[in-house]
Formats: sequence, C-alpha cells, structure tokens
Amino acid sequence: MSNEVSKFSVQELDLYYSNFQALKKINMEIQEKEITAFIGPSGCGKSTFLKTINRMNDLVEGVKVDGKIYLDGVDIYKDIDVIKLRSRVGMVFQQPNPFPMSIYDNVAYGPRIHGIKKKSVLDEIVEKSLRQAAIWDEVKDKLKKSARAVSGGQQQRICIARTLAVEPEVILMDEPTSALDPISTLKIEDLAVELKEQYTIIIVTHNMQQASRISDKTAFFLTGEVIEYGKTEQIFNTPKNKKTEDYITGRFG
Amino acid sequence: MTNNIKEENNNSSIMMKPNKTRDIIEKIVETIFFLCAMVSVVSVIAIIVFVFYKGVAPFVGNNAYSFFDFISGVKWDPNHNEYGVFYMIVASILATIGAIIIGVPIGLLTAVFIAEIAPKSLVNIVKPGVELLAGIPSVIYGAFGLGVIVPLINKISPEPQGQSLLAVICVLTIMILPTIISLSEATLKAVPNSYREASLGLGASKTQTIFRAVIPAAKSGILSATVLGIGRAIGETMAVMMIAGNPIGGIPMSIWDKVRPLTTNIAMEMSYASGRHQEMLFATGVILFAFIMIVNITLIKITSKAGEK
Amino acid sequence: MNSRKLKDSILQGLIYFSAAFTIFILTVIIGFILYKGVPGINLHFLTRQWEEKTTFVRVDKVAEPKDSDKEGYVSSLDITLKKDKEGNLYISKIGSDSSLDSAVDMLGQSFKVKSDDKLSKVDSNDLSELSVADAVKMINQSQDNMRLKITRPGGGIVPMLVSTIYIILLSLVIAAPIGILSAIYLNEYAKPGKILNAIRFAIQNLAGIPSIIYGLFGMLIFVQYFGMGYSILAGALTLSIILLPTIISTTEEALKAIPQTYRESSLGLGATKLQTNYKIILPNALPGILVAIILSIGRIVGESAALMLTAGTVAQIPTAITGNEAGAATLTIKLYMLMKEEGDIATACSIAIILLALIIVLNITSKVITRRFLKKQGI
Repeated sequence: MSNEVSKFSVQELDLYYSNFQALKKINMEIQEKEITAFIGPSGCGKSTFLKTINRMNDLVEGVKVDGKIYLDGVDIYKDIDVIKLRSRVGMVFQQPNPFPMSIYDNVAYGPRIHGIKKKSVLDEIVEKSLRQAAIWDEVKDKLKKSARAVSGGQQQRICIARTLAVEPEVILMDEPTSALDPISTLKIEDLAVELKEQYTIIIVTHNMQQASRISDKTAFFLTGEVIEYGKTEQIFNTPKNKKTEDYITGRFG
Repeated sequence: MTNNIKEENNNSSIMMKPNKTRDIIEKIVETIFFLCAMVSVVSVIAIIVFVFYKGVAPFVGNNAYSFFDFISGVKWDPNHNEYGVFYMIVASILATIGAIIIGVPIGLLTAVFIAEIAPKSLVNIVKPGVELLAGIPSVIYGAFGLGVIVPLINKISPEPQGQSLLAVICVLTIMILPTIISLSEATLKAVPNSYREASLGLGASKTQTIFRAVIPAAKSGILSATVLGIGRAIGETMAVMMIAGNPIGGIPMSIWDKVRPLTTNIAMEMSYASGRHQEMLFATGVILFAFIMIVNITLIKITSKAGEK
Repeated sequence: MNSRKLKDSILQGLIYFSAAFTIFILTVIIGFILYKGVPGINLHFLTRQWEEKTTFVRVDKVAEPKDSDKEGYVSSLDITLKKDKEGNLYISKIGSDSSLDSAVDMLGQSFKVKSDDKLSKVDSNDLSELSVADAVKMINQSQDNMRLKITRPGGGIVPMLVSTIYIILLSLVIAAPIGILSAIYLNEYAKPGKILNAIRFAIQNLAGIPSIIYGLFGMLIFVQYFGMGYSILAGALTLSIILLPTIISTTEEALKAIPQTYRESSLGLGATKLQTNYKIILPNALPGILVAIILSIGRIVGESAALMLTAGTVAQIPTAITGNEAGAATLTIKLYMLMKEEGDIATACSIAIILLALIIVLNITSKVITRRFLKKQGI
C-alpha cells in the first residue's frame, strides 16, 4: 500500500442544484486499482458525488459545480472533452438497463460509437468483455437474443460488460445490486473484486456489509459532507467520528 | 480502439483536449433541430400576419369600406359592394352553441359508458366505433347531411328547403361527438380509483358515484373537451357548406332558416373572388380567426391550470 | 330510497341511450354510404380515368379480310367488337396479331389501344349507327392504313387516387422530417424557458386553427405569391403545416416513453448526444413515429377545405408539382364536387366507401403497431 497512486484528487468540491447545496467542501484522494465505497443514508449526496466524477450531472438542469476534480492530474471541470472523460470513466447504474437490442449489440454499442466497424474486432471485444463480466458462459449461445429477456442479475452483468467494452480506467457503480437477489448480488461483488486488478472502482452502496466485504477504502457521507474517509477496516472497526459509528452500528439511516 | 486508447493514456492531458470538430458538428445538428422546431413558430406568425394583412386592407386607405358596416351588416352582395358579416357571425355562434348543447351531454355520457359502465365486450364495439367516427372525413359528414338529414328536415320544416340551421346543428353535433367522447373518456379514466372506492364506501350507488364523485373530479378535462369541440364546430367548413343553404343575407330567426356561417362564406367564393371581394373574404377569415384565438387561449389556460394542480 | 333508485335508473338509462345513439349514428352513416355507394363500385370505377378521352389513331391491317363465324371479329385487325348497354361499339378483345397496341396518334406518338376502348369512326365513316356486323364489314373494307376514332371510357377514380397518393407522399416528405426533428429538439435538447414556451404555444395554436384558415394562407402565399398555382405542391406545403402539431406531439409522446436510463447509459459509455439520439432514441421512438405518420396520412386523406383552396378541383393525374399540370382533386374534393355541384349522390358515396376503407385500414394499422410496441416493451 506504500506506493499508492491517486487516480482522482478532489479538492474543495461544492455542488448546487439551483439553490440547494447538495455537496459541501468535499476533499478526497481516490487510489488507482482499488475499490472505494461510498456509504451513507439516502439523500446524503453519495450518488450525486459519484455522478460528478464523470460529469453525468451535466445532464441535470441547473447544476453548478465549484472546486476541482483531477483525473490523473487533469481538472475535469476545466475545458476538457466530456465525451472522452466518460469513455475513461464508465458507469453502471442502479437498475439493470440494457438497451432494447441483442446482448451482442449492447456490448458492441460502445466500441461502435467509438468508430469500430470491423466484425472480427467487435466479436473479440464482445467476448472479452462478457468473459471479464463473468457472464460469457451463460449467454454465449444467445448473443443475438434480446438483452432484456435474461434475468436481472444477468442483465446487470451484461451492463457491466457493456461498460468494460469501452475499456475504461475507472468504473463507477451506483448501487449496482440494489435491484438484485442475494445470489446475483454475490456474483456482482465477486466480479467487482476481480475487476479491481485492472480497474479503479468506485461503488455507491446502501448495503454496509457489501462495503465491508469488497472495498479497500470507505467514505461515509452525511448531508452532503464527507464525515469520514479511510481504510475500510478502520472505518468499520474503529470509526473516529461518532456519527460514523452511529451509522455503521445501525443507530440511524 | 484498443490501441487508440492505450496510446492516448500515455499522455492524459492531451487526450482530454476537447474535440473541436465534433463539438461543432454537434452544435450544428442541434441548430438544425432547433430550426425545425421554429418552423411551427414561423408558420403561426406568418399565418396571422398574412391573413390579417389581407383582411385589414379593405378598411384602410382611400375608398375604405366602413369596418362598422362590415361587422354589423346583414347582407353579403359582392356585386353591389355590400359586405356584411353580422348574420354569419350569428349563424356560426348559434350553430356552435346548438351543437355543444346537444353534443356535450351525449358525448360525456357515452364516455361514462365506455369508461365506467360497459363490460369489455361492449367497449370493444363502442370504442373502435368512436375512433372511426373521428376518422371520417368531413365531406362524408356533409354527404350524409345532404343525403339524409336535409331531406328529413325538408319533410317537417315549414320552410321550402331542408338546408337550415337545424341541419347544421345536427351534423356538427355528430362531428364533435368523437372529440368530446375520447377526451372525456381519457380524463374519466385518469380519476384515481380511490375516489370511487371512497364514494362507494360511503354507501353511494354506482350511478351516484359516477355523477357525484367521478365526473366532478374530471371537470377540467371535460371542460377542455368542450372547448375543443367548440373549436371544431366553429371551424368546420366543408360539411357545413353542403347543408347550410348559404343565403346572401338575413339573420336566422328560427332553426328552419338557411344560414351562412363564416367558414362557408370563405370557402364558397374564394376560388373565383378577386380584388376587394377577395380581401373581404380574408377579413371574414380574420373574424373567424379572432374566435379561434379566444377558443385556443381558453383551452391553453384550462390545460395549464389543470397541469398545475 | 325509492326515489334514489328511480333517479339512478333514469341516469343509467341516459348513459345507455347516449352510447346507443353514438353507435346508431355511425351505423346510419355507414349504412347510407354503403346503400348508395356499393352499386357504383366495380373494377371500372377503380381502374379507369375520370374523364372520357378521345384520340384519333392510325393502324395498319394485319391480314387480308376474310369472313369469320365469330360474331364481331374483325379479321383485318385481329380484334373483336361488341356493343355495350348504351349501344356504343367497343373493342372487347385485341388479338395477339393485332396492330392496335402499336397504333400511332395524329401527333406521331405511339398510342396503345386497350380493350374496353370505344370505337366510333373508321376514316370518315361513322360506326355508331351501324350494327356490329356492318361495322366489321366497314372496317374490313377500309384501306390498308386506316384512321380510327378511339374513346377511352372514364368514370373511374384513378386520377383522384393518384393525386391523393402524390399529396400524401409530398406532404410527408416535407412534414415528417421537420416534425420529428422538432420533437427531438423539444424533448432532448430544449431547456425550459421562454423559447421553449413560445414553441409550445405556437404548436398548440397551430393545432387549433381550422383548415379553412390554412387554406386562405396557402392560397395567398403558395398559390399566388410564390406562383405555384393550384398545385399539389401548394396543397402539400399547406398540409405540411397542418400536420406538424400531430407529428410533433405523437413523436414527443414516444420520446417521453423512452426510459431516461437509456440516455444516461449511452452518454455514460462516451456517446455524444447526436450518437445517442441516432442509435438509441430514434430506433426506440420508431413505432411512435410510424403511428404519427399513419395519423398524418389519415388527416391528409380526410382533408378538404385547405386542399380545395390550394390544390384545386380538377380531376387529372398531375404531371408536374406546380402550375396548371399540377392541379389535382383528391378523393374528398371530388366527393364534394359531385355532391354539391353535380348532385350525384351515388358516385359521391362510392368514393366515400373508398375513403372509409382507407380510414379503417389506417386505424387498424396504427392499433397493430401500438399493440406490438406495448408487447415489446412488456418484456
């Protein structure tokens, strides 16, 4: 852990939805090839913060961001290419949301929009991504079937494969298992741990066991502020802040 | 792509440079979309400007026609430079009121039947029927009016002809029915079931529930259906033209009298009119437009108010 | 309690009466149209031109005349003649050797004579008063290269059908792209504010303007100012404006039904907005767009007042898109002219049957599309 590299460096970040301040003075260093978990009660700003990292909040009307987020030393709220940012920082959503097309086309969607047309290359990417997402064996015989005709857990792993196909460096996961059954949830968790070999993963979760099982670092959010951020073991075993302790022992939230 | 991304990763800051060409293309496309959306705005403005420009012309300048004579006149005789539209305004209003008085209750009750009472098998007959009524071209309603309603009226009318205010009212009533029915049905369906349950729970009968709880809750939707019906009735042209009789003057004194609504005045003479005569037809259009604007704005007000709730 | 029951039954009676009345009216209208119109519907009605057209043509004999036992057979031209109910002589059959399908008109253009064409003169000899046998003799006695007076029968709706189709295509080519792109702008790009409100206000108002006002506008601008004359282009441009609100609002409904997460996922994968619209939004809105187009076709088929003032009332197949050759009566306009100007209720109702059939087909198609779409979404 001594040679930690900062993938993201967040400095004095404020975020406003018109008049409401949703994030207050966030400072955070996020390490490469680790899993960082954001926990906290509903409305604490953890999902909002996640979406500022690949600028998905740009889509929301009336959002204003102050402060800085550096990705490999480049300020992503400066004059940069949002499209490229999002190719580097992929996202997996709360509800499995494959497009209403075949499994193959879903995974090939990203490569295609980035200009890859050759069938053999696409085939290769699709297989590789589905293998990485640990779903290849389950769907390899029905690649041409609709991606919406498989189970929820499978859909979510297809969505992860879809994200991987763009070859991002960072994967943001917004409560990726909240709509899934326990077995599918475990599969996704195992997958996340495997993926961290190659990717930096940031996961928002309601499920504290999940955070403690898979993450290296944990940040506890409350009313738009980061109350405590540190190694997961430390947060769960010896929280420094009273509010963190209350939350992880289930006294509120 | 594999190679591309890997290469660019070597120098993160270069990779993050905005792609100017692509951003410009995106902007151009958005502008094209925007211009398409502006076609509607330009069309409305152009329609208003040009129809008014032509329609105001006869009342200004040398040899102007008195606007008061135009708006209060009861005789339309282009050959003798007489252009009075008052009797047409009366005809349009009476025909519309008549159609609304008969059409709205029938339409609303039919909607109640579809939305609240009828078993599915009957809904499957009535609803496509209503949709078909909505799709029938107005000339067919005119043909029906001229072929069936006018001869019927002719049999009982004290006047020598069947073409009359009554015929117009009958055909307009039929023509606004689908509008009233489908919109009312949609609003009735949108009334939350809890209203019905609450009313039934208080011991009200099904009919009482419909009339005391459901219909009042759907009031604003029914109102906008009515206003749309008014718009359709006042603007209807071809069907009315075939059955109205279109006299050159005279305020209708009874339902048996011939009438000449504003719309038919325009449609009948436009193809051969020229000069002042043509301008006067545009002026008729302006009056019609004024009515339509009132209807439109009322409708927009009602729907936006309902939206606020 | 009893008065309540009485009141309930009266109100219920009224409800049933109203629904029955609505269906009754529909039945009467359709019954009337079928009763008057069905007798006039036949193959000729569907396949012939509206106006009779007379042409003089020159043909060569193909064989030496000889007597034949077949009644009405003209051996020199290899055709068979008959008389119709009105006593007109017509060509009932053209043999394979006949030269009639390579006849030449007076301008030297080739003219294909068809069976069913009426024949009333050979050179300067009138055939109309002759019996079939005498007519055959007269033709056989003519010189080798003879001149025939051919009258192609009318009474069909082909010109109106073709005009209606032309106007549908032309209007859709103009209105569909504008309407669909407008809807995409409103739903995918526009930010709330004055401009968006203005556009929505304009669309709402367009929807409420009666077609006669559109007709006035179209006549003033397209027919007169731009000098298009009564033409299918003037009609189609006017109709395009009429169609915009329908296309925009129907397409917008389809766009609204597309889950927001599709947009987010696509953008999250690094797609641009344009790519997202093209690859995700448009394909998913396609059923809605199809319904919009079908509704538009219905509107065009039924439109009359605006078209009367912009496309004219001539029953001809337009051969241009502006000017005199482009004036065209659609089915509805012809129906009106027959009813009002000629008092020909029977033919008007025959056209009405065609219109009704079209409307029913369109209604069913849009239903099928919507239902398929809902099913697909259900997965």
